[in-house]
Amino acid sequence: MKVTIVMRGTLRKVYGYDEQVVEVPEGSTCAQALEAIGVHYKEEPKFGFVSVNNMRCMIDDELHDGDYLKAFSKVFGG
Amino acid sequence: MTQTMLGYQNKVLRIDLTKKGCSFEPLRMDFARKYVGSKGLAIRYMYEELEPGIDPLGPDNKLFLTTGPFTGTPVPCSGKLSIAAKSPATGTMNDCSVGGHVGVRVKYAGYDMIIFEGQLDKPGYVLIDNDKIRFMDAEHLWGKGSHEAEKILADQYGPEYSILSIGPAGENLNIMSCINCDYYRQAGRGGIGAVMGSKNMKAIVIRGTGGVKVNDIEGTTKRLFEILRNDVVNDDNQFIFDDGTTAFLEACNDGGILPVNNFSDTTDEKWTEYNGEVLNSYRQGKRGCGSCGLGCGNFLKIGNAICEGPEYETIAVAGPNAGNRDPEKIVKFNEVCDNMGLDTISCGDTITWAMEMTESGRHDFGIKFGEADKMIEYVEKIAKLEGVGADLALGTKKASEKFGGEDIAMQVKGLEYPQYEPRGSWGMALSYAVSDRGACHMRAYAPNEEVFAASIPPYTPEGKGQMVYNLGEFNAIKFSLCICDFWGTIDYAIMSELLTRVTGVEWTEQDMADVGRRVLNIGRAFNQREGFNRAHDTVPKKIVRDALQNGPAAGQVIPPEAFEDMLNQYYEIMGWNQDGTMPDELVKSLL
Repeated sequence: MKVTIVMRGTLRKVYGYDEQVVEVPEGSTCAQALEAIGVHYKEEPKFGFVSVNNMRCMIDDELHDGDYLKAFSKVFGG
Repeated sequence: MTQTMLGYQNKVLRIDLTKKGCSFEPLRMDFARKYVGSKGLAIRYMYEELEPGIDPLGPDNKLFLTTGPFTGTPVPCSGKLSIAAKSPATGTMNDCSVGGHVGVRVKYAGYDMIIFEGQLDKPGYVLIDNDKIRFMDAEHLWGKGSHEAEKILADQYGPEYSILSIGPAGENLNIMSCINCDYYRQAGRGGIGAVMGSKNMKAIVIRGTGGVKVNDIEGTTKRLFEILRNDVVNDDNQFIFDDGTTAFLEACNDGGILPVNNFSDTTDEKWTEYNGEVLNSYRQGKRGCGSCGLGCGNFLKIGNAICEGPEYETIAVAGPNAGNRDPEKIVKFNEVCDNMGLDTISCGDTITWAMEMTESGRHDFGIKFGEADKMIEYVEKIAKLEGVGADLALGTKKASEKFGGEDIAMQVKGLEYPQYEPRGSWGMALSYAVSDRGACHMRAYAPNEEVFAASIPPYTPEGKGQMVYNLGEFNAIKFSLCICDFWGTIDYAIMSELLTRVTGVEWTEQDMADVGRRVLNIGRAFNQREGFNRAHDTVPKKIVRDALQNGPAAGQVIPPEAFEDMLNQYYEIMGWNQDGTMPDELVKSLL
């Protein structure tokens, strides 16, 4: 299936792109999709949270064809 | 301990507005050793000098302008100024932080702190030119917008002077009024502008041409450049230069904490109509405060609307929380609030409350969600106490006591909610509740952990007492050092190292934690003396009654027992009694 992966905040600079469409196996989780493009979120101190289709979700949630996965860096302050 | 420390001027300027006189006195170094500066020092002085029960708008209230030991030094992000007084909105202590260059000028004029006492007999402004203090007539400025008044003074005195001013809202003793600085920066909350207005003081004009002594200037400067390169101007903090606080909008929307229609729901499917990408496409320029290494300020011009910002809070309150998606109207709302001298958060929340009151048929305030032009008109009415504006100028707490709708009045202790929905970040409900000046997001910013870092589950009371305490302790010392919120990667090691280098006195990481805790407690002690206790650490009924319908937090409501559980946890960590009061020994240990 195809999903769009978007980097937000500092992650854009760290990984060098804003957005890319990737092919991942059916049943892949957010974590697996990110790992597939080299985003090792567990080792990435700048990593914050993920959302799918503009809704925050858990890193182990399953993706579906056409999903829009965003990875946010941590932000500070308010 | 009365040890003199470098980094301080060791001088307080006390201005008696009633007698039009002034005096100079040494800074209480025993206070500085326990509370460091800025926020903490201001609250300690307030505790010492403000008699319990005084009228916040009477001559006995005082206005404290307080710097910190880093102010005016090359320490990055240290240029802010604390402005504090007893709040006319809440009756609690209130300290605000304002950016721009005024903090540095107060310090370079030779002062750690300036205290304004009494009241002028007629509208005036105070001119502080180093050690020369003059009391000037302001009849020609009274009634003018803050921007107009500041321009007149700026044209007269030139760019070496900073100007703090109030708009018509402050003159009219509006409890939502702010103090403006350098045109577009605000000491925003708790009606601090009304305190200045009650003193008949339209403006403070200040120039400082001195300097400040640092213990080890060579070593400190060398180290500061390393820190600046490695810890300030780096990828982690860069977002604040690139996007300003517009960066929060998408994170809050996707995170389920962006409020919609007076906190009736969260997450707006039309958020891309007014997001950072849209707003920053109208950017005219950037600006930072004195000693800033980040430069968060964005100047925008859309049509005939111009402002510095809008910051996330204003985008949210004049955007989705008001049912508006027009970015030009958001910027215009910001501009008019600034010029009228009104806090965008409290003014915005009060209008969105009126919108819900009207739509729900409880009381017709003549405005509904999505009526953005009318919202902007209402700002001026509120500032000038005209028509419906006179009722809304009461703020949500007092207006809801008069017209009903207390259950949907988004406030704690009379201070309106900032724009983070607690049902999507339960710790924020606790943070707002125990904040010493009423609902404030700057005391303990729970979304950092519960949403943005996803380090703590958001929809549970478990661990929230400790989380809010940790965040609160950290911000209490950070702001007492006058460090800007947006240096997000600073830690106790850097704080204590820099404080030791600048002052020449040893400070440890544990000292930073101890000062933070003390600052939280002295604020609480001030409020306790004014009669505040657990009964005032509240959550709006809507948050514990109505489940969210949309977004990732759909279905979430904070059960009342969960809220009480979080309060219990927090009180236990603070060493307070379960009725929210502080043991006598704890209060004594603060003095």
